Amino acid sequence: MSLRLVRIDDRLIHGQVVAGWLRAIGGRRIVIVDDATARDEFLREVLTLAAPQGVPVEVYDVAAGAARCIELAAKPEPVIVLARSPRTILGLRQAGVPIEVVDLGGMGAGPGRKRIHKTISVSPGEIRELREIERLGTRVEIQIVVDDRPISFASVVSGE
Amino acid sequence: MFRKFAAFGGCLTLVLLIAALMPATTLAAAPGAAGALEAPRISVSVWQAALIAFGYYLANSPWLFGLAFFTLYRPLVAGFFVGLILGQPAEGTLIGAAINVPFLGFLSAGGSLPIDPGFAGWVGVTVALAGHLDPAAAVSIALGLGLLGTLIFYGRMAVDSVFAHWADARADKADIAGVALMNWLPGQAFLLVVSFVPVFLFALNGPAYVQDALNRLPLWTVNGLVIAGGVLPALGIAMNMRFIFRGSAIPYFFIGFILMTATHGSISLVVVAAIGLCLAYLHLNFVRRDVPARVETIEEPVAAAAASTVVVGAQAKVSLTRGDIIKSWALWSFFAHANYNYERLQGTGFAHAMTPIIKRLYTTEDEIRAALKRHLVFFNTEPNFGNVVHGTVIAMEEQRANGAPIDDDAINSVKSGLMGPMAGIGDTMSQSTITPILLAIGIGIAGGTASGTAVPTISGATGNPLGAIIYMALISIVIVAIGYTTWMQGYARGRSFVTEILKSGAIDRVLVGAGVLGNMVLGALAATFVVVNLAPTVSIAGAKMNLQAAIIDPLFPGALALGLVLLTWWLLRRRVNPLAILAAYLVISIIAAYPFFGPGQQNSGDYSYQACTSSLLHQYSPCGTPPAATPAPTAAESAVPSAGTSAATSVPSARP
Repeated sequence: MSLRLVRIDDRLIHGQVVAGWLRAIGGRRIVIVDDATARDEFLREVLTLAAPQGVPVEVYDVAAGAARCIELAAKPEPVIVLARSPRTILGLRQAGVPIEVVDLGGMGAGPGRKRIHKTISVSPGEIRELREIERLGTRVEIQIVVDDRPISFASVVSGE
Repeated sequence: MFRKFAAFGGCLTLVLLIAALMPATTLAAAPGAAGALEAPRISVSVWQAALIAFGYYLANSPWLFGLAFFTLYRPLVAGFFVGLILGQPAEGTLIGAAINVPFLGFLSAGGSLPIDPGFAGWVGVTVALAGHLDPAAAVSIALGLGLLGTLIFYGRMAVDSVFAHWADARADKADIAGVALMNWLPGQAFLLVVSFVPVFLFALNGPAYVQDALNRLPLWTVNGLVIAGGVLPALGIAMNMRFIFRGSAIPYFFIGFILMTATHGSISLVVVAAIGLCLAYLHLNFVRRDVPARVETIEEPVAAAAASTVVVGAQAKVSLTRGDIIKSWALWSFFAHANYNYERLQGTGFAHAMTPIIKRLYTTEDEIRAALKRHLVFFNTEPNFGNVVHGTVIAMEEQRANGAPIDDDAINSVKSGLMGPMAGIGDTMSQSTITPILLAIGIGIAGGTASGTAVPTISGATGNPLGAIIYMALISIVIVAIGYTTWMQGYARGRSFVTEILKSGAIDRVLVGAGVLGNMVLGALAATFVVVNLAPTVSIAGAKMNLQAAIIDPLFPGALALGLVLLTWWLLRRRVNPLAILAAYLVISIIAAYPFFGPGQQNSGDYSYQACTSSLLHQYSPCGTPPAATPAPTAAESAVPSAGTSAATSVPSARP
């Protein structure tokens, strides 16, 4: 499994990812899957340039991202996949991308969203999508920084 | 969080329990505690405790132009100030430097805090200084305090979310000053209480309590804490190595290490840094000539980005003055983290910084309300490099106020799209490159005696307050310069500045150069602060010889320390949790101090050869002379050479 980290993070590439995860797990490539970002040329460019030198960043919409992730999953190179929302990951999973664990790394608060753990907030719709991802055989865990102990999503939303 | 704190506390309790049950030479016979100096303890007055507690509050507060996180929050600087308050600035700086080494890999990103270096520094130095602990024993205790300190941070992050809603209520009333007030007043009032009270109590009662506890323990367990103080710095150094120890920069780490051991620690860290700068220049220009590869596409995107920016010409109705923009920058610098919370992170800080802009640009209540609410949402970036976001947003607000078709979505997408990438670049630069390198230099200066020798594990070494002062000055200048430049350029040139700076390759060049310098300094620091001394003796050709002195030091001084650092780095690469490593090293150090091979130390002043070869590791160097060669030295004689020699690198006088 070379998709070393599949992470939902609404800030995509930032300090925790670049200075923490990327180094710790030896990621060699970052794949960003997000429909809106894929359409925005400026953001695409900034994200491509924001990663350290020697770590290529690729930005795709869900359809193209799924094909690319399936291709990369079969190769030995360690890859980090970043998405903004559970819906995107669900899309990847339904398209057949082999994801063992999806990591909830940063989901900001807002109207209609409930904080479930530190900087992780979810809407009712996202809870349904994450449950659906779990039903498809992917573990959903919360691990904000690499030195945190992973917590299962089910353990913080049980009873809702 | 509670789990890791409980695990650490559990381990410590277990070790101390085992220690208490084991039959051993207790301190009952020895008046001076081991690990504690013979000099009488300083008593901390109520006023001194209050000043120390207020210092810790300041370290977490916005009042120092936002620079507290880079200065007072670091144990090196905290040590200097605690030392000043208690009347021993040199000793305080030395202890602060020793405590700071395990925190070299400290990184706080996106509202996470693995450990609290501020608490470890302010309380740890107080306890060590007033209780007359050996700086190395202070390191172990300070790490436990650092974990305790995270409780304050997490409590604050949770409670401050409430105040963000108070700010929302003010925004509903279009109350600009109210939003600003809600960003700092309630959060700081709460912080003052939760940071002042525990540190005040610790500072007042902690030293006596810790010293009494240590006095009740068997001598060898206290030695174990001192040994741990030489082992645990390997963790901080290895954590920082995760950022920079790679590729063609790796050899520089070994150059730094060997430079220090080969000169027996007699060159100052400033010299090592100067050599590092020269090598960084050569490395950039002759080894890594591939680095500025991104430079060639510079022309085209600038033009493209400029074209996409709406330019409002001379007919502008309202325009911002330079004063507004500087005022906004100052507010951000001060108050970005004044109300840091889980729900919005820097959200209320962003709104606070925008208040001078909103005041100037918008007049109707509806416009003001909308603008305040627009900027009260979730926001988080690195608060210096990330300032390009604010600059860009201010320019967009100005154009919008003058009728340009910029809607909320356009502004939000710039904020939410740029804050992540700029935090990625910013944290890499400021927190994991610039700060640790400058800290390492400061620690090196602080831990040195007049001759430039660092003696962290041996009581009686004098520290150098200049280390803390130089570090404070350098980091402040660098951070303010970066913050101001990115803010102003972001305003003047917006998105094109972002792409241009990223494409210029300047950041990569700085990172590659800093990697060279960082590895050199880190290697030198490892040679000074990581101490592993084997105690057992072997019989070679009938003569009993100390393993370390006879075999390891003549071949490769500091080989064990270097091995430990590399092992720790490898463990971290294998994703072993740093707290598990911390606990394991602490337990192993204490076990390794048990006198398996002899009676052990008779009292804390016993530095005889008999005493120091009776355990697996020993805490001071060099060992006394073997009894076969000369009569056993008295405590005074053998203590003298140890006071002036680097513990990691010394070549014992008793070499065959």
